[in-house]
Amino acid sequence: MAKINQDQAHFYLLKINSLLGLVPIGVFLAFHLGINSLRTVGPLQYQWSIDLINNMPFLFGIEVVFIYLPLLLHSLMGFYIYFSGKRNVVHYGYPRNWLYTLQRITGVLIFGFLIYHLGTTVVPKLFYGKHQFLAAPFLMDVMNAEFQTWTGRIIYLIGISAATFHFANGLWGFCVSWGIIIGRNAQRNASVVFAMVGLVLTVLGFATVLEFSLDPVPVTPTVGG
Amino acid sequence: MSQETIKLKIKRQDNPRSKSYWQEFEIPYQPLSNVISCLQDIQKSPVAANDLGVDPVIWDCSCLEEVCGSCTMLINGRVRQACTALVDQIEKPIVLEPMSKFPVIRDLMVDRNRMFRALKKVKAWVDIDGSQDLGEGPIMSDHIRATRYTLSECMTCGCCLEACPQYTKDNSFLGAAAFSQVRLFNLHPTGAMNADERLEEVMGKGGIADCGNAQACVEACPKNIPLTDSIADISRQTSLKLLKDLLLK
Repeated sequence: MAKINQDQAHFYLLKINSLLGLVPIGVFLAFHLGINSLRTVGPLQYQWSIDLINNMPFLFGIEVVFIYLPLLLHSLMGFYIYFSGKRNVVHYGYPRNWLYTLQRITGVLIFGFLIYHLGTTVVPKLFYGKHQFLAAPFLMDVMNAEFQTWTGRIIYLIGISAATFHFANGLWGFCVSWGIIIGRNAQRNASVVFAMVGLVLTVLGFATVLEFSLDPVPVTPTVGG
Repeated sequence: MSQETIKLKIKRQDNPRSKSYWQEFEIPYQPLSNVISCLQDIQKSPVAANDLGVDPVIWDCSCLEEVCGSCTMLINGRVRQACTALVDQIEKPIVLEPMSKFPVIRDLMVDRNRMFRALKKVKAWVDIDGSQDLGEGPIMSDHIRATRYTLSECMTCGCCLEACPQYTKDNSFLGAAAFSQVRLFNLHPTGAMNADERLEEVMGKGGIADCGNAQACVEACPKNIPLTDSIADISRQTSLKLLKDLLLK
């Protein structure tokens, strides 16, 4: 294999960064919000989904390779991109320029939110060793407690909207950056489709927050405990 | 009732290293005047509003019909050509500043060399015959000719870069104008013979992947060049080249 020079590395990293936002991060976000919305069907359905995930083989390895490392790289590249430009919507307030600016602002917001989100869920779960069937009751207790306060609800509503916007707008950016959509009409049509995708994911997330807030039900482990 | 005078507020800078400062000027109103003629009036009698005789304001211009791009400046905060900024159509007092993305030479005159270096980097030309006559080039379809004509209207004025949030003084971004020229010359049947060389030049630091798709360029372009189509098209060409290089080389 030919050696890669610094110039090529820069190009590849930006291309990979754009792709990472879709696979695996975007796909994970869609699954995460989709599976969590099982909580609106019932606590038991939600518990089973957590049981399924927490009984997967090589769970920690899968999480590290497909979630944490891509998120870390996407965040580092994101901050690099954030500081490589200079936002100017004050003078050039075109819609797309607003979306460009929001994409960067939501990126920073999501980074802060994820530190909080991981700090209250995955980190204590690993710290207290709540594996397999013990994970669901532990995590559901955490969520029930979070959604008892308006601070918790607002943090999640902001985090979810920031993530769904960043994903929907990022899907459009991915399609343009990889040259999948080119013409002005194609770009406009795609932005409508991706806005719908974002809206659906936002509704899923908000419904889950609402359900947790209205009906905090503690559960016991499905097996053992 | 017609206005008696026109007020202008101009950001001045004496040399490339000195600090900028603001000066106000008041000149007699003339119907159908443009910003260039206002600057010419100031040049006739360079007196600032505080009644001090000052050095005349320096600016750049050439064609006076929006095809050369040299009189590009910020007029009331937005980038455009001074020659087509008609006094009757713009807000007063008229605020003039040099473009912020290029080094100022003096007052409203900037050095747009970075744009021309970008054109050289991306090889924005069709190679001529070498030591022997290569004969006539291939025929171009009318559809491609029409697309190329629009792209060829670029006058390297810098509006797209001034409006671009990703183009800053301290990075090496090539910017929309250069990417559009890559498309222009890759579309040419003879120019296409060097397509890969041009693509390689935009597949590095400051290249096409640095574009953040804010699309301010296409809004700011005075020639209505479909710059964002060009960016997406060059994105496709470079993506395909990336995959080809990875899988076939």
